[in-house]
Amino acid sequence: MLTEVAANLIREYKNSLNSYDEILDPKGDIKPHWKTLFRNLEQLGINDLKLRNNEIIGKLRENGVTYNVYETPDGLNRPWQLDPIPFLIDQAEWLNISKGLEQRAILLDLIIKDLYGKRNLVKDAIIPAELVFGNSGFLRPCADIHKMESNLLSLYAADLARGPDGRMWIVDNRTQAPSGSGYALENRFAMSKHLPELADGMHINKLSPFFHSLQQNIIAATESVTDSPHVIYLTPGPNNESYFEHAYLASYLGYTLAQGDDLMVRNGYVFLKSIDGLQKVDVIIRRIDDEWCDPLELRENSRLGIPGLLEALRMGNVKVLNPPGVSVVENHAFSAFMPSICKYFLQQDLLIPSVATWWCGHDDVLDKVQRDLHRLIIKKANRKSKYSTIYGKLLTVAQRKSLCAEIAERPYEYIAQEEVRLSTTPSYVDGKLVPRYAVLRSFLVHDSKTGYVTMNGGLTRSSPFEDRFVISNQNGGLSKDTWIVSNQSETLTEKITVPFKSIVNKHVSLPSRSAENLFWVGRYCERGISTIKFINIVISVLNLDRNFAGSSKQEHIKILLESLTNLTDSLPGFIHDPDLFGRPMDEIMDLVNSNSRSGSIASVASNFLNAVSSVRNQWDIEIWRTIDMVENALKNLTAQKGKIELQNNVDNLYKGLFAFLGVVTETMPRNKSFLMLDTGKLIERILAKIHVIQWCFSKVHEENTESELVEAILLNHHMLVNYRQIYKSRLDVNSMLDMIMFENTLPYSLVSMLDKLFENVSKLPKVSNSERINETEKLCLEATTLIKLSSPEGLAEGNLFGERTALINLLYKVTALILSVSTQLTNQYFSHSVMQNSFLQNSEDDEI
Amino acid sequence: MKYKLVHKTEYDYPELVTGYQSLLCLVPRSLPNQHCEDFKLEIEPAPSDISERNDFYGNTTHYFSLNRPHRKLTVTATSIVSRGSSTIGSAVPISQITCADARQLIKQDRALRIGLLEFMLISPMVKWDQEIFDFAKDCFPENGSLYECVTQLSQKIFSVFDFVPHFTTVNTPIKEVLYTKKGVCQDFSHLAIACIRSMGFPARYVSGYLETVPPIGVLKLQGSDASHAWISVFIPDQGWCDFDPTNNLVPGERHIVTAWGRDYSDVPPMKGIIFSSGKQALTVKVDVIPLE
Repeated sequence: MLTEVAANLIREYKNSLNSYDEILDPKGDIKPHWKTLFRNLEQLGINDLKLRNNEIIGKLRENGVTYNVYETPDGLNRPWQLDPIPFLIDQAEWLNISKGLEQRAILLDLIIKDLYGKRNLVKDAIIPAELVFGNSGFLRPCADIHKMESNLLSLYAADLARGPDGRMWIVDNRTQAPSGSGYALENRFAMSKHLPELADGMHINKLSPFFHSLQQNIIAATESVTDSPHVIYLTPGPNNESYFEHAYLASYLGYTLAQGDDLMVRNGYVFLKSIDGLQKVDVIIRRIDDEWCDPLELRENSRLGIPGLLEALRMGNVKVLNPPGVSVVENHAFSAFMPSICKYFLQQDLLIPSVATWWCGHDDVLDKVQRDLHRLIIKKANRKSKYSTIYGKLLTVAQRKSLCAEIAERPYEYIAQEEVRLSTTPSYVDGKLVPRYAVLRSFLVHDSKTGYVTMNGGLTRSSPFEDRFVISNQNGGLSKDTWIVSNQSETLTEKITVPFKSIVNKHVSLPSRSAENLFWVGRYCERGISTIKFINIVISVLNLDRNFAGSSKQEHIKILLESLTNLTDSLPGFIHDPDLFGRPMDEIMDLVNSNSRSGSIASVASNFLNAVSSVRNQWDIEIWRTIDMVENALKNLTAQKGKIELQNNVDNLYKGLFAFLGVVTETMPRNKSFLMLDTGKLIERILAKIHVIQWCFSKVHEENTESELVEAILLNHHMLVNYRQIYKSRLDVNSMLDMIMFENTLPYSLVSMLDKLFENVSKLPKVSNSERINETEKLCLEATTLIKLSSPEGLAEGNLFGERTALINLLYKVTALILSVSTQLTNQYFSHSVMQNSFLQNSEDDEI
Repeated sequence: MKYKLVHKTEYDYPELVTGYQSLLCLVPRSLPNQHCEDFKLEIEPAPSDISERNDFYGNTTHYFSLNRPHRKLTVTATSIVSRGSSTIGSAVPISQITCADARQLIKQDRALRIGLLEFMLISPMVKWDQEIFDFAKDCFPENGSLYECVTQLSQKIFSVFDFVPHFTTVNTPIKEVLYTKKGVCQDFSHLAIACIRSMGFPARYVSGYLETVPPIGVLKLQGSDASHAWISVFIPDQGWCDFDPTNNLVPGERHIVTAWGRDYSDVPPMKGIIFSSGKQALTVKVDVIPLE
């Protein structure tokens, strides 16, 4: 039963329509499930919807759901936009649509096989030869890589929109690396968590069976592999606009996320370079485009692919989903021939129509296009060309004439499409429900048992502009959850069902690149913490001095300021520019928020965020929340104007970084990932603490100065409270050194940190089983032993010139050893990540 | 004639190279008037695997990979080839088919056109525009014999352009060659192909070798021969006919065919991916030694 108010909401929306809308059936009546949705919306209230929408926005941001990247050091990820109004399709209708989609997938698979095989479509004049030989997606080196007896098109995505006849039409195809299924899944999670009431009285199909089928496909593809198959999710890397999705799906499906140069071909097999050595790869789900897959045989300047991959495919030693070459059917010209291809292969009519398309390579079509250009859309047949869609109606007479001449030059490169009005759907924009054009991307996967399986749902994207059919994620388009609504009872909550054949992932390995990034996450995080900690100490000393109207002795302040320059490696600074002592806060401000200055807190924090986003799949939601804190604090820090906000913003950043370390330490499994991060943290912490001790105590100073420095150092090591409990107010170098260097119950003492470092590196994988103690362990052991064998009395003493030579020498040696540990780790675990240089032979040297 | 061909490529790396993946296209094709009696490939250091296949155009290619660290790589291909007299023998009279008829014939014969189409369209390194069309136009009168027209074009390129080694690189666009009027065999072949395709006829790129003959009284130097490139044009009634626009001659006994494709990018003699952060120095030595 519709309430009066609900009827009003619908009526209001209906009155705003000026074209065919999703809520209406062909007779102009409102479809039943839309009525239910509007009732639920009304019950929730439009104001509550706003609140929930904000909740969703916040949640997606927290979960790190983004579409965009850190383009610049201060550029931030743009959060994924989810419209709280879902896109609804009745299950009965969807059943027909998915049959049509399955037919289309079968057809495309047959076309791909034919084009790389006998090319009967060309020989029997079903399609013109230009669709093969003039098609930039037809990759000749791929002609002999496919296993024709099995299915080639394992994954397929089609963009659907409702045409003027009330039927869903296919408006575009994705065959090479279909994107969006991860966003669809994330949208569903967000909706079922934050707006469960919207589904009241409706039964919504689950998305998980789709992913289950994908896993079955992979198991079937690797039946010959006796052990559990090693599956790689191949991403172009963190700079790709949909990297979030790659990381998200890799972790949802339980596959290893890797980039091209994490993989290598050796003896015809593909291997993953991990910190455990080379590991054979059985299946690659790729998210890089065809051309970029193998720089040896395809696009030679690709740094995203794996040289030798095509040869490994020819030998049948690896399976790639989808195999390179399938983009041949992404060529727009195929739309013009799909009805006849369908008759040719399947003796059927197409179940789902495409937008009426003409290939300009036929003489009569060329005439028609020239005649009817004003109501046509012109596109290049090859999708790869950077040629935007041209709307004939928007051109002047002169422009039309010149376009016609351009087409006549090489007609086979162009297609013309009818410009059609597609349906609109309710969208939540600026607090109101308004009609917007929308496109539904649907996903199919080939299941070895049942054939193609369509995801019961999809990713709907709507145009951000009224009356304009512009749909792309880059343009700020909105996405929507897509509900296939049925009468069967099913719950909205997603559960991962256990597959027919259980999948145990025995290949939990850490790619070398991820290991390296984790190591740097640890280092940058600690670098940020150490720097802020010390800056805070310096600022409070400066403030104290000001409170006494500058009457206290200046020597310790000078030493601490110089030490800050030394710690942040930001010369000239206080060391080479004595003028700065007159206005220390200016330099400190710059060290805090100048993003372009290396060693500044802002630049360390952006490096941290970059490293964090390169190993996105390592973090759970709790950890993301702390990363979010760091990101916000950094944003405020670099935006701040005055000195007053400085302390607050720096504190927030400090809290964020510390919270990150805390949650990581409390929640991360003690695996290789954690070890790498923790080892990076320890190395950085040891080096930072030593830097400050060295600068402050290399010389014996006047007693007052020394006690001020002792206090600062104790603060820097989080030990002042502890110290006071033992030694009361007496601040001397001897007792301080005893505590900061030798006290193994204190986590910030050098021996504690070095012992922990040794413990960490001894848990890392060994080169061989016979290796008892490796180079890295030896270096740590030497460092810790050097300290343990020295005495605080000897170290505190100065020589005739007032220099603490014993202390200087000891700390110098320990620093060198720890730096070697870092180098050794790089060589042993990260050295796989070497650059690749591609070249064509420089033939001009020798040719006639 | 019978020749021994030695194609030696040496890479020197200042920095250690940890791995190498390579694709070679060095085996002379076997043709009615050319027979490859023997082919031997020596790679130093020894590759971990090597495999042979025929590419899309029927050229024989070798893939190999090297996993051990190295600073120097030598690839030596040695073949024994017997080569008959010129492709266009005097025994068969040259087809006199006119440009107009040839164009018509290719258009009408569907099966023929399918096989020729990719040599008529633009390809990665061969594109053309009005200027290239205008350059070619006066060589191709509609009622002239196609074979004669291509000979005219070859003659025109030979007389207008200067052979200047090192002036261009593998990636110099055809248009630049057209403006500067300088280049090497690869440039002239690409230009000729662009001209012929702009007129609507199929043309392909031929990669191979040419035996050089030193001036009388001068001793031939070792390694002084070179890889060479020329073109092949499809003349209906006749088949594929070779032309060498660089030397303005019809390839004959001294031209040895290795491979053909749409343009150079289909058939580079050697390409590869190295794993190293360093640079590389390359030397290539080719000997074409007559055995009979």
